Amino acid sequence: MTLPPSVLQQRIPLGDLLDLKAFADVCHSFAELYRVGLKVFDEASNKLVDVKVGNADFCGYIWSKPSGREQCMATVARVRSDPIGDEPGPTAFPCFSGCRYVVQPVLYEGDVIGRVVFGPYVPDDLVALPASLTSISADFDARLADGYAEKIRRVPEGTAEKILKHFMDLLDVMVFTGHKNLITARLHIEAVQESYRELQEKNRALEDSFAKLKELDRLKSNFLATMSHELRTPLTSVIGYSEMMLEGLGGPLTAEQREYLGIIMEKGENLLQLITSILDISKIEAGRIRLVLSEVDPGQLMRDAIATVLPLARKKGLKVACEPGHLPRLHCDREKVRQCLVNLCTNAVKFTPAGGSVTVSAEPATGDRLAIRVADNGIGIADELLARVFDVFFQIDGSSTREYGGAGLGLAIVKSFAEAHGGEVQVSSKVGAGSIFSLVLPLRPTLPAPALTPSAPFPALGG
Amino acid sequence: MVQYNSDSRELAIKVVYYGPALSGKTTNLQALFQKIDARVRGRLMTLDTKDDRTLFFDMMPVFFKTRAGVKVKLKLYTVPGQVMHESTRRIVLQGTDAIAFVADSRRSEAAATLAYWNNMLKNLEANGLDVRTLPIVLQMNKRDLPDAREEGELADLRQVIEPPVVPAVAIRGDGVVETLYLLLKLCYRSLDRNLALEAKWNISEREFLERIFSHVDLQGTSVRPPGAPGP
Repeated sequence: MTLPPSVLQQRIPLGDLLDLKAFADVCHSFAELYRVGLKVFDEASNKLVDVKVGNADFCGYIWSKPSGREQCMATVARVRSDPIGDEPGPTAFPCFSGCRYVVQPVLYEGDVIGRVVFGPYVPDDLVALPASLTSISADFDARLADGYAEKIRRVPEGTAEKILKHFMDLLDVMVFTGHKNLITARLHIEAVQESYRELQEKNRALEDSFAKLKELDRLKSNFLATMSHELRTPLTSVIGYSEMMLEGLGGPLTAEQREYLGIIMEKGENLLQLITSILDISKIEAGRIRLVLSEVDPGQLMRDAIATVLPLARKKGLKVACEPGHLPRLHCDREKVRQCLVNLCTNAVKFTPAGGSVTVSAEPATGDRLAIRVADNGIGIADELLARVFDVFFQIDGSSTREYGGAGLGLAIVKSFAEAHGGEVQVSSKVGAGSIFSLVLPLRPTLPAPALTPSAPFPALGG
Repeated sequence: MVQYNSDSRELAIKVVYYGPALSGKTTNLQALFQKIDARVRGRLMTLDTKDDRTLFFDMMPVFFKTRAGVKVKLKLYTVPGQVMHESTRRIVLQGTDAIAFVADSRRSEAAATLAYWNNMLKNLEANGLDVRTLPIVLQMNKRDLPDAREEGELADLRQVIEPPVVPAVAIRGDGVVETLYLLLKLCYRSLDRNLALEAKWNISEREFLERIFSHVDLQGTSVRPPGAPGP
């Protein structure tokens, strides 16, 4: 990558360093003050300013003679482009008319960037108009020309140089100021352009990696969906055949065999649940989640959820309470909300030690919503981890020897299902004191059309 | 890269003072402005904000003509030190021929110095410049401050880094001329390698340095007056 050439690398012509209109005003005022004409050329001999003072009649008369015009043009060409070196001093250019010009280079940072032509003026030592002028034509009227010449200022040599020096000092400041302003402005623009270019480059890189990540994420979700589906098929057979054997279809069983088969079945069910969760998550991530909405009694859902975890809670010695109270009906996907509550209750039971309690309650929330709370007095969650508990596969204790099992999918599923309803999950917790998870759902979800499937007899969640 | 025009026989050389904010880059240029004869230098242009820190940068031209009639124009620049002016730094660095890296000697500034050194490497690369061949002098400025690294540490530094190290107290003008002298010496050699200054342009190292440093106030510096054997 190479940057485009900066203004700092370029040589700037005199005309760009000055505001030409304002500069012309200064030159006019200066020429008026000293009553002498002034011309300024840039390095390429382009005329930037031309102020004539007093010489219009005189020069006009000379111009009326063909030979005079010719010689005048030659003089002007000389003051304009004859080499004058690069020393900061004046060079005198006599005119055939007896007048005189002084020319000085405009130097900036050691470079010649133009020249100033001061004149024409009548030199102090000129006594009479020279023959080079009076002989330009046979009908030249010397008295008339003399009269015109009187209108041009007579300047002693030393004065001319002082006036010119004064002008050069002024010009130097104007050029310096102009250069400074030009660089400030141009560099500002260049800096902005450069920052923009850099940002664009970064954006492109970010977009690229974002696209790559999205693709990887999609592949992962696909893989999960396929795998969980593939895993479920043989597992169903394992469970099915175990059940058949338990029912005695394969012949009589001993008590021990019966117990072992019971364990196989129970663990098989656990595994099936886990795989189903993974399938749910991969569906959620692939954006294939569909809601089947119907009128539901939230109290019933709460009792169902409690009933599901009751055996485990009893085994652990936990007190379980359900306080449904009097609740409005909820328009929601019954199966998904039930699963949310089961997940929350399962967690509460899992993370509450013996002697603790799990309470499910509900109350109306702001904005026509219902909040269903699952509270426990278990181990709680540290503040800094609260925000992450809803992440997929997140485990507070991620070590392989952790005390509590699970795939880290339960809360992620709750969150996704709640959001699919246009609701949310809230959590508040204190380490050692317990946690409260609130599932807040709108009584009547207003959802974007594609996510809504009207209450229909066919299952929208396929698989 | 150096700009040269063989028709007009002109050589334009760009020298950049690089370094972290408040390390003393502008102070270096201000000291040089005081010490260099006004006949061979232009005005010191400072594009700054209301406070005393450089917003954009400073610029000062130094120019002379050699015996063989070659016009040499040196332009000294500083880069803005503030982190936010990254793009301006990169632009100012464009086409540079030599770099004086001005570092704050204090131990507390070591991390910022290293960060800016790496930042410079990155910006040099963005400009297609090669740090291995570019003349660079490291000025360890602010030697007078209490927390400054000691002489022994500078000696250690010299062991491990390529560029020569010049100690300085720029605010007093100490080490400023020495830095420029050493840098221009390296710069001449690098230009001579690339452009054959001596063979093609008839400019010797001695004349090159003499043309500049005969117009510099060398009092109190370790740089010998032109004509005397160099340091």
